[in-house]
Amino acid sequence: MTERFDVVVVGAGPAGSMAALTLARAGRSVCLLERGPFPGSKNLYGGVIYGRVLDEILPRWIDEAPIERWVTRRVTMVLTETQSLAVDFRSSAWGAKPYNGATALRPEFDSWLASEAEKAGAVLVCSTTATGLLLDERGRTTGVRTDRPGGDIEAGVVIACDGVNAFLAKQAGLTSTEDPSHYTLGVKEVLALAPDEIERRFGLEPGEGADFEVIGGTGGIAGGGFLYTNRETVSVGLVLSIEGLSRSETRPEQLLAEFKSHPAIRPLVAGGDVVEYGAHLIPEAGLAMMPRLAGDGILVAGDAAGMCLAAGIWLEGVNFAMASGAAAGEAAAEALERGDTSAGGLRGYRKRLEANFVLADHRRLKRAPHLVLSDRMQHQYPQLVCNLVEEIFTVRNPSPKQGIVAQARQERRKAGVRLRDLARDGWSAWRTFR
Amino acid sequence: MSRSSESSPVAFEDRMATTEFRIASEPHISVHGDSCRGCTTRACVTACPAKLFVPTSDGGILFNYEQCFECGTCYLVCNTEGAITWAYPEGGAGVVYRRS
Amino acid sequence: MRRPLFAACWKVVELRSSIDPLTGEVTPDHLSLGVSRSDEAALEWALRSAARWGGGVRLVTAGSAKTEAALRQGAAVGATELLRVDLPIDWPSDWIARAVAPHLADADLVWCGDMSTDRGSGAFPAYLAAELGISQALGLIGVELNGPDGPAGSDGPDKGLGFEALRRLDGGRRERLSIGARAVLSCEGATTRLRRASLDGVLVARDAPIAVRVGSRGTTVAPAVASIAPFRPRARVVEPPAGPTARERIRSLTGADAAGRTARAITLNPREAAVAILEALGSWGELPAGLSGERAGDLP
Repeated sequence: MTERFDVVVVGAGPAGSMAALTLARAGRSVCLLERGPFPGSKNLYGGVIYGRVLDEILPRWIDEAPIERWVTRRVTMVLTETQSLAVDFRSSAWGAKPYNGATALRPEFDSWLASEAEKAGAVLVCSTTATGLLLDERGRTTGVRTDRPGGDIEAGVVIACDGVNAFLAKQAGLTSTEDPSHYTLGVKEVLALAPDEIERRFGLEPGEGADFEVIGGTGGIAGGGFLYTNRETVSVGLVLSIEGLSRSETRPEQLLAEFKSHPAIRPLVAGGDVVEYGAHLIPEAGLAMMPRLAGDGILVAGDAAGMCLAAGIWLEGVNFAMASGAAAGEAAAEALERGDTSAGGLRGYRKRLEANFVLADHRRLKRAPHLVLSDRMQHQYPQLVCNLVEEIFTVRNPSPKQGIVAQARQERRKAGVRLRDLARDGWSAWRTFR
Repeated sequence: MSRSSESSPVAFEDRMATTEFRIASEPHISVHGDSCRGCTTRACVTACPAKLFVPTSDGGILFNYEQCFECGTCYLVCNTEGAITWAYPEGGAGVVYRRS
Repeated sequence: MRRPLFAACWKVVELRSSIDPLTGEVTPDHLSLGVSRSDEAALEWALRSAARWGGGVRLVTAGSAKTEAALRQGAAVGATELLRVDLPIDWPSDWIARAVAPHLADADLVWCGDMSTDRGSGAFPAYLAAELGISQALGLIGVELNGPDGPAGSDGPDKGLGFEALRRLDGGRRERLSIGARAVLSCEGATTRLRRASLDGVLVARDAPIAVRVGSRGTTVAPAVASIAPFRPRARVVEPPAGPTARERIRSLTGADAAGRTARAITLNPREAAVAILEALGSWGELPAGLSGERAGDLP
């Protein structure tokens, strides 16, 4: 027999749970499907959540969400083989309400968010994989097929929050991208360390956390590294261009081991036993890979829609997922109310995303992924800038100090960076990030 | 208590043993051996973070599905259309992250 | 004829825990609450029993309300009655069996898993059979529900409710049992795999009624533990072997020629058997001083 709901949301991650929560509050019957045994069990990320988008929808999230640490220290670091240069920012304001970023474990956080959707009335069904869409003769989405016996679910709207592989959006013809350059691979180790040891190593007060974003340190493969503090674990990982990785002869766990043994990283992670290892794809290309967001009877949100901001100094995803999920939920409720769930009837989704940060940020930073993963940004500039700083601070008595500008010119030549490229990248960085 | 991390490199099997996998009764990956024999890049062998793909002496690819992170890297890097078929495993089975 | 009733008993525990290597402190993982493969197999056998002979399946858990999610999973695959006996899960197995037994008095076959994920004692099925005063067949490794009907001579309401099963014995041996109702059975997880719930089943099970009965506290006293120490087999001092050749010395050292340890088959009632075992162990020097056949009189 076939079940029927107003809306089926596929995937109980941050996007799906927010969509289901919004719809349930609007009085709609919602089935929230999750293929893992509990929400979050399939989800792996770097580790920071920016929860500002929850302020209105779940005003008590700060007290109720399973937060590990509130980030008060943010380090952006450039690594070469032997050097490191960091911008180390601390803010005590981030350590008090309303806070800024937080580290959290996804199995805990996603389970909590899904339970909020359940409280609002959504029907959460775990251990159930959506194997495809139900389409009518005109190609309109009318529901999903699951892998349970008798597992077809009809729905007015399907919201596909099925993650980075986006199988449902592909089936609906909303996207066809399987271009490997659009994705990076995140590999991550979780290391056990005592809470006070973490606070000592990272210079934190109890309950406070640190967030390290690293450019370089990936053994020549385009990408970067990260380091986040949880309550009693540290997450350390790499983000690797999968094209670069497959061309290289080095396996991801070897690259990660090298990263962990870098002199700037080792003191922070030494002695921590690996308590979990995992990997996940990241939709890296932003706007360039974004599918059509709405089809007849279907909306796409979260990673499935490429809504992950991987723009060098900003690495955000859960907030985009939550905001896009909520917008999809509102748009679906609106479309059901009007009785028009065609792509046109669902256009309120895009409108909402245009109006808030989701598409605005992606528009503003649309050139960033390409720029950040470019060869010069990944290799030549880190080397150049680290060498320059090393020159500036190396005392060569009795030779007198050189002028910084002269040194900069010298280092640029040594690094083989042409002035023309530097100017062009500078201009493009200015246009990207201004 | 403190011991340096490179003095005790984690064996790959030990690394994988830290993560829980609930084994499905059916594989969710399949590799079509004939396409692999002509493959020169073998990108899946290097790129799969769970080391599921192993080259065999006769030029084929042997694969496991049990300890799969379900990331999707393999089919994206594979340069032969249709050589790797990949779907999500049965509901409730597969990787179960707990500290991610 | 009365409709038969089949039951399955589930122990719901955290499937994963983290253990602090320094303090030994165990932190159960609250997201991993569930049952072992063998408990799942027990429900599958109960469901298949009902499919074979008709009748309902009652799924029972003991513990707090957090076991109810597991009960609903059982309802999703076809359990027709859900019952939770409310009691602290850290009670000894005999107390739990005594609390659960009254709710299984009408069950023809009670299926249990032979192992829980938290490595419990595995004694519950035996205690349950004792409480119910019915037969037991524990540690089944193979079940043949569709074989010829019943042990010869069974009659009354239980007629026909019989099947064959295989049980593991020591030394790699197997025992083929002919089982008839009423009985308590425990099976290993490898005997079968629990069927997958249909979507409809999962949705309906969300509202399935769960009966809750308060389990009354048992009265038996758990054996007092005097001390806990690592297992160190006692060293026995033996005379240096005598004999002119190495071969003879080896023979005398290994006791190859000695009499007394030969197997003999005797039939005794349980109490006399216990005394005989203690006497034999004592005479072989396998018991610590102060515990020997002479103290067999202390046995209940």
